Amino acid sequence: MEYKVQEKMSIADKLRILGDGAKYDVACTSSGVSRQGDGIHMGNTVSGGLCHSFSADGRCISLLKILFTNECIYNCKYCFNRSSNDIPRTSFTPEEVCYLTMEFYKRNYIEGLFLSSGILYNPNYTMELIYETVYKLRKEYGFFGYIHLKAIPGADARIIERAGLLADRMSINLELPTSEGLRNLAPNKSRQTILKPMRMIQQGIKENKNEIMIYRHAPKFVPAGQSTQIIIGATPETDFQLVSVAESLYKKFELKRVFYSAFVNVNKDKDLPSTLGGPPLLREHRLYQADWLMRFYHFRAEELLSPKKPYFNMLLDPKCDWAVRHLDLFPIEINKADYEVLLRIPGVGVKSAMRICQARKMAPLSFEDLKKIGVVLKRALYFITCSGKMMYPTKIEEDYIIRNLLHEKERLPERKENYRQLSLFDEEKKEAIG
Amino acid sequence: MEGEKIWVCEDSQEGIFTGIYDAWASGYKKEECVIQVGEIGNYRLFAQYFSVKTEEEKAWKVAKTILRRMGERAYRHICSAISSTDQEKGNAVFHTLILGFAMEDASKAMTYLSNPYVGKVFTLSRQVYNEVHHFMEFLRFRQLEIGILFAKIHPKNDILTHITPHFADRLPMEDFIIYDSVREKMAIHPKQKRWSIVQDKNFQIEKTKEESKDEEQIQELFRSFCKTIAVKERENKELQRQMLPLKFRDNMPEFEESKWISHYEEKSY
Ligand code: SF4
Repeated sequence: MEYKVQEKMSIADKLRILGDGAKYDVACTSSGVSRQGDGIHMGNTVSGGLCHSFSADGRCISLLKILFTNECIYNCKYCFNRSSNDIPRTSFTPEEVCYLTMEFYKRNYIEGLFLSSGILYNPNYTMELIYETVYKLRKEYGFFGYIHLKAIPGADARIIERAGLLADRMSINLELPTSEGLRNLAPNKSRQTILKPMRMIQQGIKENKNEIMIYRHAPKFVPAGQSTQIIIGATPETDFQLVSVAESLYKKFELKRVFYSAFVNVNKDKDLPSTLGGPPLLREHRLYQADWLMRFYHFRAEELLSPKKPYFNMLLDPKCDWAVRHLDLFPIEINKADYEVLLRIPGVGVKSAMRICQARKMAPLSFEDLKKIGVVLKRALYFITCSGKMMYPTKIEEDYIIRNLLHEKERLPERKENYRQLSLFDEEKKEAIG
Repeated sequence: MEGEKIWVCEDSQEGIFTGIYDAWASGYKKEECVIQVGEIGNYRLFAQYFSVKTEEEKAWKVAKTILRRMGERAYRHICSAISSTDQEKGNAVFHTLILGFAMEDASKAMTYLSNPYVGKVFTLSRQVYNEVHHFMEFLRFRQLEIGILFAKIHPKNDILTHITPHFADRLPMEDFIIYDSVREKMAIHPKQKRWSIVQDKNFQIEKTKEESKDEEQIQELFRSFCKTIAVKERENKELQRQMLPLKFRDNMPEFEESKWISHYEEKSY
């Protein structure tokens, strides 16, 4: 196949093609780093990230998420840009990417740039192009907003390192949870070419932290950390396998985020599962909830699932599911329990747990107070006491509680990870809105 | 004389802080003092009314005391609550201060959520903060012919002073204006200078019609980007509406009709 840049293609058409090519990458957050403006350059970053718009699928639009090029030499089966597909091919110029980023940012359309790419000629060539683009954007255009870059698997460590000094976040997609899956579906990639740069970025971040301790003004390397993405539903892993892979990525590679992307069979490839009935969105949602529980609620993967119970309960969220399987630990006294224990109560979010700990020092809390604090009582009431009393007389009995919890419908808008991250559980939604 | 003492003050941070200063200095029992914002409304029998004349110096003293005794976090909560449209806000702030200043460590006052006044300040501040956050996300600038970036908003609460610092930090080299069409006032940020708030009841919005020559193309590019980025298989307009309520959309170019037809779309891609 021959690669020819269509010289005369307009920037509008390029944006359509290269935005389309990037849309299955889900990691569109602008969070993880807080940087004030310097009074001269354009841009700052907000640690919680901002969502500037929402597309028709309800996902957050935070960054200008584009491919640099879709002229890819690889042929990953799940990917729309694979070389065997007959689709229009094009590439941006670095200037075009800078122009779009600056003009969009100025108007408050975006928080910054998310630049991914197909592999043009070879990994190094592509990584150089990405580097050149962000170099221009930072140094010539003076852009100080958020930049998320993809590291190209197989690219030279030195180019990745240079790029990392200009980016806020970098990511390398793990793509598939097992090396076998990768071998079958992405024959040009290997676990090795993916994990090597991941390790390299991890070390870069560590060394940079030391440098910054010594030289306060040393340039920052990937200050918002690194993330990755796993496609779910293209290969036959269980939920337990998936959360275990995620857990070990957090531990071994110190990732900031693991993103899941529900598989969509864009190529109608017969070797891959059909997604005609729609991508596995509920499953993806449960995985994100579990991810949240592991990162902020002190849960371990094997508490949520096990080889004997390898799949999530599709009816109950994993926190409620855990609670009803451990009724012997409840009810919990709100005015006494430790912070970590409070976190395990369905209906109590991270912020509420913190507020409870502070507020109860002043006076014992009542159910009325909990409501103000942001606790979702209709869910929590089966699991708590305030000064020794339950809210209503209720049975602490698995079937009874499950029936009642199911009656109080969980808000299930299919897709949550990219929203304002607060809304993954109803309790967090309530905390935010009050 | 027994009964409530009601201080009626202007609906602004300075007005409310002056009212608080006067009430505090009056020597009346603090529990009997009420801070009322705006009009007197229903006269209450046996109550005594005082009309407060806003004084910058008094307001400044109150602000400084809050900052010193209760810390920056609490101060921010209080300022946010004061930007709310709620009419009880002045009184809630006043009684939160009374409570705080009576505590050994006044910086803990805002955690006393079971106290009704503190609870109120906290709730109002959170509502205002949420609106500020929304406009940080959903506000849109257009570039006018004269080069200025212009944004129009219609917020429920009086949030201009809360959102402008964010944009001033972000766009130091731009001339920009954020216009609050509800209160008919605007924040003006000249490039590399300090921003200020200007009240202008006679502002003619038609004057902002003339846009820079690239403006339409850039809006069009963003509109098409937002369209492309949606994954068809996961379409969920209801969710989109939950996340981005309709009331924000009228100043957002991505929700306007496209004025262009791409030759690329014509080729039925
Ligand atoms: S490398 Fe694979 S996943 Fe990436 S663009 Fe090319 S074909 Fe798609």
